[in-house]
Amino acid sequence: MFKVNPDFPGPKQAGPDAQRFRLDGERSVDEWVKLCSQCKRCEVACPYGVNVAEIILRAQLTYSSEHLSPFTAHLFANTHYLGKLGSTAAYFTNALASTSLVKGALRLLGLSTTLPLPEYRFLTLNRGRKRKGRFRAPMKVAFFHGCYLNYNRPDLGRKIRDLLSYLGCRVVMPRQTCCGLPALGNGDVDIAARFARENVKELGSWVDKGYKVLYACTSCGLTLAHDYPELLGVPGGRKVAENTYNVHEFLSNAIEDGSLAVDFGPVDMHVAYHIPCHLRALGIGYPAARIFEKIPGLKFRILDDDCCGLSGSYGFKKKNEKTSALLGQIAGDAILATGARALASDCGACKMQLAHFTGLPALDPAEVIIESLRPAPAKKHA
Amino acid sequence: MSAYEYDVVVVGGGVSGITAALTLAEKGLKVALISKGDPVCCLSTGCVDVMTGEGDPWQKIGELPAGHPYVKAGDDALRDGLVFFLRIMEEQGLPYVGSLTENRPIITPIGTVKHTCLVPVTMAASDLAKSERLHVVSFKGIKDFYPSYLTNGISRSSFSVFDAGISTTLGIASRFEDEGFLGRFISWLQDTENPHDRIAVPAVLGLRDPVKVMERISKAMGRPVFEIPTLPPSIPGLRLFRALKGALQAKGGHLYWGKGVSSIERQGSEIEAVTLATAGRAARVQGRAFILATGSFVSGGLYAGRDAVRETVFGLPVFVPGERREWFHAQFFTPGHAIEKAGIVVDDCFRPAGGKLKNLYVCGSILAESEVMKNQCGHGLAIATGVAAARMCARGLA
Repeated sequence: MFKVNPDFPGPKQAGPDAQRFRLDGERSVDEWVKLCSQCKRCEVACPYGVNVAEIILRAQLTYSSEHLSPFTAHLFANTHYLGKLGSTAAYFTNALASTSLVKGALRLLGLSTTLPLPEYRFLTLNRGRKRKGRFRAPMKVAFFHGCYLNYNRPDLGRKIRDLLSYLGCRVVMPRQTCCGLPALGNGDVDIAARFARENVKELGSWVDKGYKVLYACTSCGLTLAHDYPELLGVPGGRKVAENTYNVHEFLSNAIEDGSLAVDFGPVDMHVAYHIPCHLRALGIGYPAARIFEKIPGLKFRILDDDCCGLSGSYGFKKKNEKTSALLGQIAGDAILATGARALASDCGACKMQLAHFTGLPALDPAEVIIESLRPAPAKKHA
Repeated sequence: MSAYEYDVVVVGGGVSGITAALTLAEKGLKVALISKGDPVCCLSTGCVDVMTGEGDPWQKIGELPAGHPYVKAGDDALRDGLVFFLRIMEEQGLPYVGSLTENRPIITPIGTVKHTCLVPVTMAASDLAKSERLHVVSFKGIKDFYPSYLTNGISRSSFSVFDAGISTTLGIASRFEDEGFLGRFISWLQDTENPHDRIAVPAVLGLRDPVKVMERISKAMGRPVFEIPTLPPSIPGLRLFRALKGALQAKGGHLYWGKGVSSIERQGSEIEAVTLATAGRAARVQGRAFILATGSFVSGGLYAGRDAVRETVFGLPVFVPGERREWFHAQFFTPGHAIEKAGIVVDDCFRPAGGKLKNLYVCGSILAESEVMKNQCGHGLAIATGVAAARMCARGLA
């Protein structure tokens, strides 16, 4: 962020440096601390293990608790309810959101209209079937789809569910609420903790039944695996975190240890694989790329040096509009420079932003894998 | 659930570790690279120092004691390594120039001249002749870059200051990626009438394609333009790191970035796997062989506690030059503090001496007797020992 926005002094100054002055218990005055988007690139970069982003996040939460939050913060902290409402009235929401009158109103309320607002879908994942795959399948997984797949891209969520069951998993869609990251990012730790407790209760019961929790959204994943047991300290969070896997990490491990044999067919694709910041922050490497390597004919290039700049709700706020666009341009140019015909990314926000700045089709890594399994989609998994 | 099995797992993501990983990946081996963060090469000038001073670096290498890692690695490893490095950087669009047998001068931000072996092409024109007039461009608010240091040190020089609207080196470098900004900078430079022969700027001419930026300015001004390395954070260091990392990814190497090794699994004299302190649950990375390239004290490969100096990943025995009171000269700036000799002693195969671990190899500044500061041989030593350790490792696996 600080490389395009001089108002933000950078992670070192905003984090550990300023922290020395925050310890005296005085009311916080550093409003610029909210300009940090929590991409956590500083934490990955720091070789000495300083939790820079977490120091900043705690300062953001303190600042928010001591000051009145703007309307947008309340709105985005509750994206879950926004999604519920938006999808229930999907037809009207989508039609309304694209009108210039509504756009003008949104700008007045402090929202950015650089990107089209994500469209909502009525037939969300939690309205669809809750189980798929044979009951006796050797691999049992509980899919934490998160809000984006549920409300905005249930079609993609169903694709991932079907991919998993096609590859021999018993997939359940556990009852779930928002992971809580948007609430944390918008300064509302109470909402985040409530969501976390609800999810840990439900997911924990599936873990007890021998299921692994899988996530596709890497930001949800980071919240489940890191924030639940650490920052939020939810009871039972550790057990859930230990049994939570990225979808591709899970598949790649199963392929490597021989429990899953996949016959990848050839594809004719050239993809720029943009690594979401939160996938980097998980520290598990780039599991989808490990699967990509096995797909004949797939040409792909990993791009992990740039943040897309949207950072969930960050870029949808008018005050961050310029920062977000400048970063989106940089990341988009890096993608275009590869000459790829499509981009792939695990994160819904990254895809929205980069599709806008490159004009390229934006795929989920699972869609690339499905493409290579396409020639024989009717073939039942043996 | 078991994880991926690699042929080689390299621990340490600096120049040495990536060079070793690249060497092995080019041999068709499956390589993982683990680093707990961005390496100290991001703080370096980006130049490849082989041995300090003017003239032929090989001559000085010939004067090193027999235990020095350069001597252990042999001339071939250094020569092949530098040629390999030049090819990789060319492929990555960040070409380097320089002669392997004759150091070349670069200008430092305090106006002195330093001699080094290979430099990024954006610093190629810093071989300023005495008769030439230099114009230094600085940026408003930029930290630790004082053009008057340069104009005082270099006769027949002047400076001017451009307002980039942002003052961090990373910020200015990002602006230079933008065509509009570059155009405004060039027209401003054209307006500041100067009759000078060459133009110097702090090293901020873009992150991804600095060569293009430099050439655009140079062409518009009709005279050579070159970059002067800055104090950290160093953009040429960051570019070097990103290029090496990109090269490794392009050759199929897997990166595990941001988390350190939390434990090791050992079976007799072989290391089987390391685990990483990843979010939620430790990730296990297993390999047939391992390379340690975590660097010296600054990068955390070595840690000096009150009682002893420790190697931080595998707990290898560390050579330490005498008692603590013998580690330092009385004066800080006297070159060659004894503690610089601290590190891991290796056998001729670059395995830890003593023969207790058969599938672990060591390279880079963590090697005993390196004395990187005294010899100013940082990236050169990293490259030579990286190649040498990788060759030994490949031989061990064959």
